[in-house]
Amino acid sequence: MDDWQTVIGIEIHAQVNSKSKLFSSSSTDFGSAPNTQVSLVDAAMPGMLPVINKFCIEQAIKSGLGLNAKINNKSIFDRKNYFYQDLPQGYQISQFKDPIVGEGSVEIEIEGITKTIGIERLHLEQDAGKSLHDQDPNLTFVDLNRSGIALMEIVSKPDMSSSDEAIAYVRKVRSILRYLDTCDGNMEQGSLRADVNVSVRKKGEELGTRCEIKNLNSFKHIGAAINFEVDRQIKIIERGEQVKQETRLYEVVSNKTRSMRSKEDAHDYRYFPDPDLLPLQLEQDWIEKIKKSLPELPDEKKLRFINFYKISGYDAEVLTSDRRISEFFEEVAKNRSSKLSVSWVASELFAVLNKLNLNIENSPVSSSQLGELIDEIENGTISNRAAKEVFEEMCNSEKSVKDIIDDKGLVQISDTSEIEIFINKVLEDNPENVEKYKNGKTKLLGFFIGEVMKATKGKANPGLLNQIVKKKLDN
Amino acid sequence: MLDNLTILEASKLIDEKKVSALEITNSYLKKIEDSKKLNCFITVSHDKAVHAAKETDNRVSKNNRIGPMDGIPLAYKDLFCTKDTLTTASSKILSNFIPTYESTVTNNCINKGAITLGKLNCDEFAMGSTNKTSFYGPVVNPWKSLDSDEELVPGGSSGGSAASVAADLCIASIGTDTGGSIRQPASFTGAVGLKPTYGRVSRWGTIAFASSLDQAGPISKTVEDAAILLQTISGHDNKDSTSSQKPNEHYFSNLNSSVKNLKIGIPKEYMSDDLPLEIQNYWNEGKKILSENGAEIIEISLPHTKTALPAYYIIAPAEASSNLSRYDGVKYGLRTNEKNLIKMYESTRSDGFGDEVKRRIMIGTYVLSSGYYDAYYLKAQKIRSLIKKDFDNVFKDVNAILTPATPNTAFAIDKEEKDPVKNYLNDIFTVPINLAGLPAISIPFGLDKKGLPVGMQLITNSFEEQLLLNIAKNIQDSINFKNEPKCWWK
Amino acid sequence: MEFDKNSTIKLAKLARLSVNDNQLNSLEKDLKSILKFIDQLKEINTEDIDPTSNSLDQKLILRDDIAENTLSNEDLLKNVPESELGFFVVPKVIE
Repeated sequence: MDDWQTVIGIEIHAQVNSKSKLFSSSSTDFGSAPNTQVSLVDAAMPGMLPVINKFCIEQAIKSGLGLNAKINNKSIFDRKNYFYQDLPQGYQISQFKDPIVGEGSVEIEIEGITKTIGIERLHLEQDAGKSLHDQDPNLTFVDLNRSGIALMEIVSKPDMSSSDEAIAYVRKVRSILRYLDTCDGNMEQGSLRADVNVSVRKKGEELGTRCEIKNLNSFKHIGAAINFEVDRQIKIIERGEQVKQETRLYEVVSNKTRSMRSKEDAHDYRYFPDPDLLPLQLEQDWIEKIKKSLPELPDEKKLRFINFYKISGYDAEVLTSDRRISEFFEEVAKNRSSKLSVSWVASELFAVLNKLNLNIENSPVSSSQLGELIDEIENGTISNRAAKEVFEEMCNSEKSVKDIIDDKGLVQISDTSEIEIFINKVLEDNPENVEKYKNGKTKLLGFFIGEVMKATKGKANPGLLNQIVKKKLDN
Repeated sequence: MLDNLTILEASKLIDEKKVSALEITNSYLKKIEDSKKLNCFITVSHDKAVHAAKETDNRVSKNNRIGPMDGIPLAYKDLFCTKDTLTTASSKILSNFIPTYESTVTNNCINKGAITLGKLNCDEFAMGSTNKTSFYGPVVNPWKSLDSDEELVPGGSSGGSAASVAADLCIASIGTDTGGSIRQPASFTGAVGLKPTYGRVSRWGTIAFASSLDQAGPISKTVEDAAILLQTISGHDNKDSTSSQKPNEHYFSNLNSSVKNLKIGIPKEYMSDDLPLEIQNYWNEGKKILSENGAEIIEISLPHTKTALPAYYIIAPAEASSNLSRYDGVKYGLRTNEKNLIKMYESTRSDGFGDEVKRRIMIGTYVLSSGYYDAYYLKAQKIRSLIKKDFDNVFKDVNAILTPATPNTAFAIDKEEKDPVKNYLNDIFTVPINLAGLPAISIPFGLDKKGLPVGMQLITNSFEEQLLLNIAKNIQDSINFKNEPKCWWK
Repeated sequence: MEFDKNSTIKLAKLARLSVNDNQLNSLEKDLKSILKFIDQLKEINTEDIDPTSNSLDQKLILRDDIAENTLSNEDLLKNVPESELGFFVVPKVIE
């Protein structure tokens, strides 16, 4: 395997989070009844004409700037001609020779090593409708609600060489778009899909024939599809055969890719400038204005987190990969221990979100509630261990942090004399171990602390406890 | 009293309450009923028309008449989508299509109180210059040759629009012009036909042939009527990205027929020995009239004229091939049942489109296809720049250009043309204007030896429709042509 | 490449038109004649000339992002050849 190289390029289709479609006023809401968000324009009724959505252009510019890319002052909308049941016009309005956004780049990090992935272009285009093949044995049903929704197609250079890099790239682009709020990045609903071009070659040899795997809508599928495809292509070449250039589909159930039958026809899309639209000319002022409005992006934010909160690169990466998470973290960490904040957000909270399959937006615990909990730890009211119990309760109830602590009686014993009573009792009950300790078996310190904790039902302030036990034994 | 009315005359009668809109409408509906031989109408909107006429009369009785168009019976080329009324583009593929929406052009007319008599026959998807490509059969020109009883073509593609005006089956009509489809049939039938500047009239709801060339315009009996109609249908439409934002003008009230000190260009490239002598004579008469009325006649050159027709027959089919992809049997229109999607597409489209449309779709597909795009389509777009530049240069020196509208007069329907290219030559004088996006008008000058109408074409710079109409009125008033063919069809 | 019968078949396929053997010959002849006509342009020098795809000299007008659903499912499907449960329906497609 070692002498094989994989070459991967990715086209991401990201749905612009506009209220209305790219060339018509129909709503883009997800999940409506079939064919209820279809205008005369979307259905390609005779005599209908496209009128472009200003907001979509703005979002494309914003995304381009976020991808460090060149914004083209003049761009052209072309027709891509082909027949398909989900393409009412018989052509898709897209951008071919003159896209709105030109070359750019993003950085990905794999195991601490940074790599730059080139962006070839970003252009605006119409989404197609949706076909349902499982409703009738002899018929395909077509829903045009998606038809005409604005997509940004982001084309990478073939700069990735593993499924890990491919996933990291898509994650990064998704993260940037979500920071910019130009695409919600919801892969389950299809707001962000990837077409992955994969080829393999022996080291030093020419580029191999590539296959395009269409419409991957989760990171897991991207990884699995690439891994399967690389394996498949290597096996073909090793058998002395040739890889056929084709479009393939990834099938989740079998975890395999297969040739797409409907795409077997040779393509000739006959692109030409859409005569219903004039060239799009952007004023430099508008671009500058958008540039000024850009939020802090993940790379910048990560650096700031490392420097300001003094946290590790790994933690900073985890906390900044998503804009809402980073904002949540900053709300929690404000005027609090960043170490505690990282651990409560990135470990405890994430574990709960994962378990409940929730986004940070629907977190059962708000940032201010989590902050209050950390305050109680910081001021010594509760121990870390008790805090976990409180947190668990917070996830399941509406009760305030204070109420939970009171109800459960979790207030920590921080009174020295009170703790001493418990310690004295434990030392009295275990003279043999006291003797052993004094003879050098200092490891037994943990035993004494454990016994006191047991006796106090975990409520003894661990710092104080440790300090007093040690003092008593060492005397 | 109700024959050969112009908009102005009818409007006056209604205003003065001498005749009701309903009486006028009924008289036209009767004439349409009696003139089926001409095959002008695909759909007659009898009930709609009567209803609208009654509404006009209601307004008139309350002295609330909207304006000069209120109560005027019009008819529209069957390329304009009309709400709840069959709209076919003269194609089998749309022979059952009833829009749920009203095109901007027809809506503008309706809003001004105009009465819709019905939908007019035309070449299929406006592709043709004879009206013979219609699924509904050819329209017959009301004019006949003095020496023959042969039925003649009315020209095309707006053949029904022109013939219905000449036969007085409507007071005026609206057509569309992609390469001459208003001016050529107007010329063949003795009518006034105006193609506005590209962008002056909204294309929304008009079935597209070639989007960058299509423009709707009036066919009427007089220049005054053309002015009123242009005013009625034009203006910015935010549903059409290629609609001009220039404000609409009061073409009728600003009509001024003086041509004093205007410079009129005569392009030498439009002259050839093949041009019938009588057309040459009328051209010369046009120069004489304008010159006598105070204009200066200047010979000019439009060097790329000859390239216009081949460039047009690349660009128009290319756009059409894409525009007509939507007729696929899925959403509306004809569908031929097949078990397989591709077969369904192929059967539906082969059954639904006529031969000329298929030829153009295939040529258009060819010139856009991989490996040929640069040599054909891109080349034609560059030629288009050259043609536009020719006109730009000329309009630095002249105010308007006078040319013949067509290289011939109406010919027999039965004359079979085996080579499609021969038919394309009918558009030779009109096509360059569409490529450059300019306004032009065809005005009747007189009859040739056979007794058939001859039209001349005036061209001005973009958005100078007012000047165009002014000069046209000057000529009209000097000539006094009456578009009244002998009625043989009733 | 010479335009021939195969080119005609290929074009018809691309344009989703079916052409039977009878039509093929005359269609090929017509297309050849048209191509010969438009081939005249090859003699014209267009070097350094910018193409014009629309003669209207105006900036592209931009629409505000306001959503409104103006067409009911019923009106959308008013002219549909075949539909089921509010969907457009076509012969089974295998992807």
